[in-house]
Amino acid sequence: MSGSSQPHRSTEPHARAAAVQAQASGSDFQSLSARAAGDEKLKAAIGSAVMRQFTGRRLRLLDLPDAQQLRTLAGRIRQHALDHLDYYLELLAARVRQNGGLVHFAADAAEARRIIIQIARDNGCRSVVKSKSMVSEEIGLRPAMEEAGLDVVETDLGEFIIQMAGEGPSHIVGPCIHKTAAAIGKLFSEYFGTPYSEDPGAMTRQARAYLREKFRRADMGMTGANFVVAETGLVCAVENEGNVRQSITTPRILVSVTGIEKVIPRMADLAVFLKLLGRSSTGQAMTVYTNLFGGPRKAGEGDGPEQFHLVLVDNGRSRILGSEYREALRCIRCGACLNACPVYRKIGGHAYGHVYSGPIGAILAPLMQGRERFRDLPQASTLCGACFEACPVMIDIPSMLIRLRGEDAAQGGLGWRQRLAFCAWAEMLKSPLLYGVLGRIKRWLLRRRADEEGYISKGAGMVRGWTDVRDLPMPAKKTFHQLWQGRRK
Amino acid sequence: MNGEAVIEAVRKALGRSHQPGAVPIPPAIEEPLVRLVHTEIGLPELFVARAREGDILADLVGPDDLHRQLVHFLTHHDCRSVALARSPFLDRLGVEDALREGGLDVRVWPDVTLDEIYELDCGITDAAYAVAEVGGLLVRATPTHGRGLSLVPGIHVVIVEPRNLVPDLVDLFERLAADRDASAMTIITGPSKTADIEMNIVKGVHGPGIVQAFVLH
Repeated sequence: MSGSSQPHRSTEPHARAAAVQAQASGSDFQSLSARAAGDEKLKAAIGSAVMRQFTGRRLRLLDLPDAQQLRTLAGRIRQHALDHLDYYLELLAARVRQNGGLVHFAADAAEARRIIIQIARDNGCRSVVKSKSMVSEEIGLRPAMEEAGLDVVETDLGEFIIQMAGEGPSHIVGPCIHKTAAAIGKLFSEYFGTPYSEDPGAMTRQARAYLREKFRRADMGMTGANFVVAETGLVCAVENEGNVRQSITTPRILVSVTGIEKVIPRMADLAVFLKLLGRSSTGQAMTVYTNLFGGPRKAGEGDGPEQFHLVLVDNGRSRILGSEYREALRCIRCGACLNACPVYRKIGGHAYGHVYSGPIGAILAPLMQGRERFRDLPQASTLCGACFEACPVMIDIPSMLIRLRGEDAAQGGLGWRQRLAFCAWAEMLKSPLLYGVLGRIKRWLLRRRADEEGYISKGAGMVRGWTDVRDLPMPAKKTFHQLWQGRRK
Repeated sequence: MNGEAVIEAVRKALGRSHQPGAVPIPPAIEEPLVRLVHTEIGLPELFVARAREGDILADLVGPDDLHRQLVHFLTHHDCRSVALARSPFLDRLGVEDALREGGLDVRVWPDVTLDEIYELDCGITDAAYAVAEVGGLLVRATPTHGRGLSLVPGIHVVIVEPRNLVPDLVDLFERLAADRDASAMTIITGPSKTADIEMNIVKGVHGPGIVQAFVLH
């Protein structure tokens, strides 16, 4: 699809269709990404948000004495935690129980949903305030809770907006960066039945007033976790808005849901990770709020939850742990690889058809939910290495993408056309005669199509893919081989 | 709750059949890489500078001037009612009396409920720690220091005791590792903020839009 023919088309239907399609039929990366790449408004919205975070990260890393070495250390600590995950999970569970909290392990998404809905039922909860959590998106928590009759509201402003729009997040950190203020203004006006305004301040105040009442009356609060500390059993959840704080303050039941891989050994490790997390994700030295919590309120406290539940979700992680891709579990979900990726910048998160998008999503999606379904994602990379360079825990993303591609090819992932083409290509390269003759024909064909200035602006066949968007210089009169022969004489 | 099954799966993935006897030793934290503030000298000034970068209104005040500045700040921001944490430090400073003398309606935690403070203009607390590196204030949930005080009212005023200043996050987490009492803690480095709508920064989303720190010296 060509976006340039419809430059003023709203991003709305695209994004929604993308999200719906992704949920309905698995990943159809080819068509979703082509559509997204043709949507100029979408590209502009994503580009400006992502570039701001990207440059912010680069500036903020300069605060550190040796960012490279600190990233290496952070990667080593994460790797250590993964290499001893059994030990740290048991320690964590023991500490949370000592703090008076309850620990639940869920083998898969369905079990996690069941556990959380059961907690709500057992405690007579009706209204739930939820703060941002990628794991909750991964396990499809909100729709399941709503189906169970619970009133669930997303309280992160970006998540609230995409909840109103009926979409999924398009970025790990900025869930609604694909939306323009005008589109959000329209949503607000429809949702609240109030006059249209696209002023971010006015919209934020409207959301604040609405959500404040929700917080005040909520029975259950839900959070995710950036880290869980084995040493103390504390959850660490960072944010800028204060909705996580609200969730751990007002409701009588508190549930934190996260992946089993999020555990870190010590409190001291937080100094390492917090110095990298904010800088890598939003270009902040530190987010506005860094919350540390675990267990219910203590005797005499006037606010805080009466019950604390920590739900630790496996959902394919132990399988990854036992594979050659263990390193991918180091990920701390900062989004820096998304911001750095030239492919993500052009197509946004929805095209990936999975909750985790961008370079790390291209690894996690096929590993977590099936290689067949997400076969195209590891191909969606130029292997330029920008993701590896951005990663605060030094995950070698490009190497893993190559390995995934190789395994896919070995399992017959290439279609017969590609296999035939590569065989023919190999034959041609092996035979000097074929190479020379075919090269001659190619040059002759291309030179015929060139204009007076020596450029081909309308190619045929495979060349069209190139010439539709840019000109191709005419091949030189003599090939390198011919020049070389001439010099040797 | 089949914790056993998940941990078993993890153990299998790691190629073990049972918990290894030895306690794993995590990589040493190389301080020169992590630490950004290397001195105790000038911490109040550094804290104030960094807090201001994060949009906290921060000032150094002498103990004699605190009452006047506090009341002036509250009047300036049209605060009529305040919720106050109770602590030996705030008691010693005579904050409650000063506020009453300044004509403010003062409600002291925990005699005021969380629901009631939704209607109040300002929450006043101290800070368990103040981290100079990031201009961050650590508030701890305790019976005399409700979580809502620094969150629910539109304005949060913090009075910082100089001995609670620490240079770096490294120092903070060293202390917190030994602190097993608090059920919740939050490091605050600014007013509540969002940039979710086209990267426009708007203050005062779910937490206070204004944070004022008075650092005693």
